[in-house]
Amino acid sequence: MIVFSSVSLIYPNSTKTIIENLSFTVAEGELVLVMGATGAGKSSLLRLINGLVPHHTGGILAGDISVNGISTRKMKPGGLAHLIGIVGQNPLNGFVCDRVEEELAFGMEALNLPSDVMRKRVEEVLDLLSLAHLRNRTIATLSGGEQQRVAIGTALVMHPKVLVLDEPTSALDPVAAEEVLSIIHRLVHDLGLTVVISEHKLERVIQFADRIIHMKSDGYTEIGLPHEILKNSEIAPPLIHLARALDLSEMSLSVRDMRRETESIRRNLDATPRKNSSNLLTSETPELINVDTIALRHGNTIALKNVSLSVCQGEIVAIMGRNGAGKSSLLRSIAGILHPTHGRISVMGGDPSKLRGQARIKTIGFIPQEPSDLLFGQSVQAECEAADRDNGISLGLTFNLLSSLVPGIARSTHPRDLSEGQRLALALSVVLSSSPQILVLDEPTRGLDYSAKSSLITTLKILAAARCAVIIATHDVELVAEVATRVVFIAEGEIVADGPTVEVLLSSPAFAPQVAKIMAPAPWLTVKDVVDVLNRAR
Amino acid sequence: MTTTANVYTFRMRSMVALAIASVIGACGFLWPFFLNAHSPFRHQYNQIFFFVAVPLALTILIIEISNQRLDAKSVALLGVLAALTAALRPMGAGAAGIEPMWFILILSARVFGPAFGFILGILSMFVSAFITGGFGPWLPYQMFAAGWIGLAAGALPQRIGRYQIRGRIEILLMVIFGILAAFSFGLLMDLQFWPWTLGSQTQLSYSADATLGTNIHHFLIFHFISSMAWDVPRAVITAMLTVFTAPAVLFALRRTKRKASFLTPIEFKERLGISERATEQTEL
Repeated sequence: MIVFSSVSLIYPNSTKTIIENLSFTVAEGELVLVMGATGAGKSSLLRLINGLVPHHTGGILAGDISVNGISTRKMKPGGLAHLIGIVGQNPLNGFVCDRVEEELAFGMEALNLPSDVMRKRVEEVLDLLSLAHLRNRTIATLSGGEQQRVAIGTALVMHPKVLVLDEPTSALDPVAAEEVLSIIHRLVHDLGLTVVISEHKLERVIQFADRIIHMKSDGYTEIGLPHEILKNSEIAPPLIHLARALDLSEMSLSVRDMRRETESIRRNLDATPRKNSSNLLTSETPELINVDTIALRHGNTIALKNVSLSVCQGEIVAIMGRNGAGKSSLLRSIAGILHPTHGRISVMGGDPSKLRGQARIKTIGFIPQEPSDLLFGQSVQAECEAADRDNGISLGLTFNLLSSLVPGIARSTHPRDLSEGQRLALALSVVLSSSPQILVLDEPTRGLDYSAKSSLITTLKILAAARCAVIIATHDVELVAEVATRVVFIAEGEIVADGPTVEVLLSSPAFAPQVAKIMAPAPWLTVKDVVDVLNRAR
Repeated sequence: MTTTANVYTFRMRSMVALAIASVIGACGFLWPFFLNAHSPFRHQYNQIFFFVAVPLALTILIIEISNQRLDAKSVALLGVLAALTAALRPMGAGAAGIEPMWFILILSARVFGPAFGFILGILSMFVSAFITGGFGPWLPYQMFAAGWIGLAAGALPQRIGRYQIRGRIEILLMVIFGILAAFSFGLLMDLQFWPWTLGSQTQLSYSADATLGTNIHHFLIFHFISSMAWDVPRAVITAMLTVFTAPAVLFALRRTKRKASFLTPIEFKERLGISERATEQTEL
């Protein structure tokens, strides 16, 4: 269906070869996963398939790419629209209309299809993606998972033979991601759709992939069956890391297979709960944040009700819950941006909304969901220097902090041209340069690759060790398992669970990390936990 | 060698269409001075321009322009900027002449060129009429006037000799142009307005029977009075907004232009040549 024959790509005004001499064939009905670190060229590869690169970007393309026998050299992206559906990372960026039905019809309108065909196909897709009950809803009011399903629907109404998805689940909570991926899986099996998908959170997709294209950072690209590729790759989901740590000969890609493999190991291991090494809190640890039965409403919707929370020095608290559960509202109230309608919040003894200027940046650092909201300098350099001046620290310290988080960012880059991970690192360095006592992060791992995530984890651990308090709202259970000391679970604006990470994560299968699913009922969350126990047993 | 699509520019045919339409448009603005006591059909035809000729010229022009292949990127840019400009226009809530839209039109035209500026001006006026309910025989005149302002802003020189006009000089240029544009728009609007607005009996009225000199005299007085009320606030607002926003807006627009990679060469090859690889190795 898709044939790449010795493809190389160089972007204009650049001497770096993004893709070099890449050849592969994707058969009809195959689901291919593209993995690699940020900047390895995943998005370029996906956009080569429908000709957006180089027809819209310019550049030198060597070799030939053909889809269903049509070469992208001769055909511009518009001419391939009926053949290839493409879905981006943030579905909201791609929507044109207000209502679900209209949005589904829009693409066909552009292809000039007769209206009776359009009606039929809209119905078909509504059923296929179980969107029928949402047909008259306004898109902006849908949840993230529903929006992503609508975005996939808009691609499917054109009856494409190939579906290209660029990180379709990175903004979704685990349940919504599951929902989207299982639909993609079904499309591949029921309709013989060919799917090329890129994703950072490998643990979510690996079990569905027929083959993997691994774009390594050294420019070399590997193509093969999942277990072959994952045996040696530097990026791998926790499942594979566990298999490696346990020296398993077979690489299993699903939790089910892995449980079978590890049956004997689990039986022999001592499953007593580990002593809570992370829980170093004593009654003397000073409390930094106290949220006292707050309620918050946005217009008619109640965002928070009866929420009480206390966070002490040295804690890393993860706030979890569905999209729209009230996580961001809670974080914004703590940061003093929103004012609760009832109850009160005290941050280090004061009202956070009354903090101003220096006192504010020394107390609380808040990074919103879109880190670029904090960045309004015209270059990385300008941004860092502004932070140095604001905090009265010597020039260059912020940039050094940034380089230690993510090395190799050019000073002249515009903040909006950075990758998600780099932008987060920049916002983080700007916020951290004032060394606040409390750090609040809203959804920091969207679009982060494994290496950026691990440097984030290290930074957060250092902060906690330096007696700061960290609050993160996240969907990323693996991050939570690695870093959080406590988990607060929010549903419908209420706290439904608040306790040590192990307890909360293990109590709900949907939010359990992969290692915990494999090792259940033993209370181990990360590969390191398992290895520690193994070492002790020896 | 092929390239990616260009931002919207005029071709020969559309330039001819623009020239013809502009001449008709100009007649539409200036007819009160041509029809005077010596013209034979002065009482029969003085409404033709107002109701027929200008809309007709505009229609021909729009058809000609939309017949060209507008690239998806140009359409997206036009759409966003026209919506923004149109939405900014009624922000002054109808207060005398306060229309905070001109600076966006002028700065966009500066970055994306005269043809783009012309279309943007026409579109913004049209779209903002939807928002304000400002449909009427005056709309084609407003569209033409805004189009001409966009065209002129885009045609301002980018460099003098070897010196590229950027930074403070550029902002000064934008401010001066903004003030001129604000006054010209007022002048043009008065021209289309004046023959109808005062009735026929006042001392400042247009009269088909009067001489050219009298009519010009009447118009200038009329324009001076209305100008105090409308054009001065418009010029002040435009100049102020330009001073405060131009550095950031110009930067953002130029970055957009770079990101959209208009007219970037595309090369298709069998395989990468030695030359590309060699440069890569020396760079690394």
